[in-house]
Amino acid sequence: MVRRVLVPLLMLAALLMPRLVSAHDLFPGFLEVQATSASTYQVLWKLPLLQGQRLPIAPRFPDDCALQSAPDSRQEASALVYRAELSCREPLEGRLISIDGLASAGTEVLLRVRPWQTEALQTLLIQPEQPEAVIPTASEADQQPGVWSYLRLGIEHILLGVDHLLLLLGLVLIVRDGWMLLKTVTAFTLANSITLSVSAIGIVQVPVAPLNAAIALSILFIGTEVVRFRRGQTSFTLRHPWVLACGFGLLHGFGYARGLAELGLPHHELLLALLLFNVGIEIGQDVFVVLVLALERAFRQLQIRWPFWVRCVPAWTIGCAGAYWTIETTVSLIKGGV
Amino acid sequence: MPLLFAHLMQTGFGGFYDGVAHLFLTPSDLLLVLGLALLAGQQGPQGGRLLLTLLPLSWWIGLAVGQHWGLDFTLALLTTMLFSSVGVLVALSLRLSPLLLAFTVAGSGLLFGLINGFTMPSAASGLPLDVLGVVSGVAVLSVLISAQVAATRSNGFCIAVRVAGSWIAAAGFLSVGMLFKAA
Repeated sequence: MVRRVLVPLLMLAALLMPRLVSAHDLFPGFLEVQATSASTYQVLWKLPLLQGQRLPIAPRFPDDCALQSAPDSRQEASALVYRAELSCREPLEGRLISIDGLASAGTEVLLRVRPWQTEALQTLLIQPEQPEAVIPTASEADQQPGVWSYLRLGIEHILLGVDHLLLLLGLVLIVRDGWMLLKTVTAFTLANSITLSVSAIGIVQVPVAPLNAAIALSILFIGTEVVRFRRGQTSFTLRHPWVLACGFGLLHGFGYARGLAELGLPHHELLLALLLFNVGIEIGQDVFVVLVLALERAFRQLQIRWPFWVRCVPAWTIGCAGAYWTIETTVSLIKGGV
Repeated sequence: MPLLFAHLMQTGFGGFYDGVAHLFLTPSDLLLVLGLALLAGQQGPQGGRLLLTLLPLSWWIGLAVGQHWGLDFTLALLTTMLFSSVGVLVALSLRLSPLLLAFTVAGSGLLFGLINGFTMPSAASGLPLDVLGVVSGVAVLSVLISAQVAATRSNGFCIAVRVAGSWIAAAGFLSVGMLFKAA
């Protein structure tokens, strides 16, 4: 009786969840302010688009600042990019810049500043709870290691990326022993680091729409493999999950890089920023894997015997989410063209 | 102003992680979950299973009620006494009947969930991710600790668990003293 009621309910929940949660795209806003004289600035503003809609956020400069002409704008895959010249009566250094609408937008803004008379770029992360930042002076910009924001962005990207987490969960669930787990996680890490690096530096460019569809398809595929594993069946990927991890790692690395590319990497600190973003992603991944393993061990220690249908819930969740996103991204691919 | 309570903090990682952080940054909540996990673990795997079933569920019910009714009180003395008592039970390493353990766990979960609910505004739309975060944090922390305690039988570890219980009790008594002093 319980099974008859709960199974359909869980399947329904698994079908609805991806709609509610949605695969995460890392698109914080990006604001770059570079001084061209003591009180004039080149401003670059990347406004993120969420499913084609522009987020209701905008930078607010002090009242004595004004744009010298209408900003140039162009549309990228997932952002609107504005460039403008800003002129202020007083220098911006030491004064507040705020982001209107950030508190309710559910994203962040990466602010990169080059004050007058320095080559150092200072990177700051503006968050919803305090949607403003003080522009550093030249001496502050020379001293502060703002590039560390990329570490946090890497951790954030993986922790909020439900699609990436589901893939990792699937990989952990189809691995039979500790040695194979080590090989699988290492293969995934190395693979996504390679594609993240080559893509972020610009050596390889992958179109967004097919990439999204392929990432969604990878999640659907891992869902079916978990079901196969639970049924006691076998396949090449179940015997050698590290091969699968390597292939999917390459794919998901492009996904990580896409988010990073939208931000843009600072030229003079490119390698460090890339490394920190990658380290952040690996920290997030490892924390998640350790947590899943610790929970699995705790359930064993408590001698919990889950019914078969409960053991299938992770597979259903991964499979249903993968199927939903595959359909969604394929439709968007067909609509938008490759 | 009650001691050892915190408002929902913002991690910048979204509602779910705000909820998780709320548990870990609210000393009274954290000490209660730790105490109950140690206590349930001392009762063996059955205690751990009971804790995993009842604590997140009762916490979630309390939270939902607290958010819905929005009563503005915190019962600081009662909650502090409650986690202190749990600490004492752990320090004494008492064997409890499953019924008594279930009552303690469910009652504590309801009360603390209720108080959490007052400090968290209910989500206007969509999933209440902060609630999900708090309840997930409670479930994960309690299952990890109770399982470890239930599975480890060495004398040294049992003593360490009892010492941890005594620290929880001591923190509670200290808070009670400060509450009276503040009053």
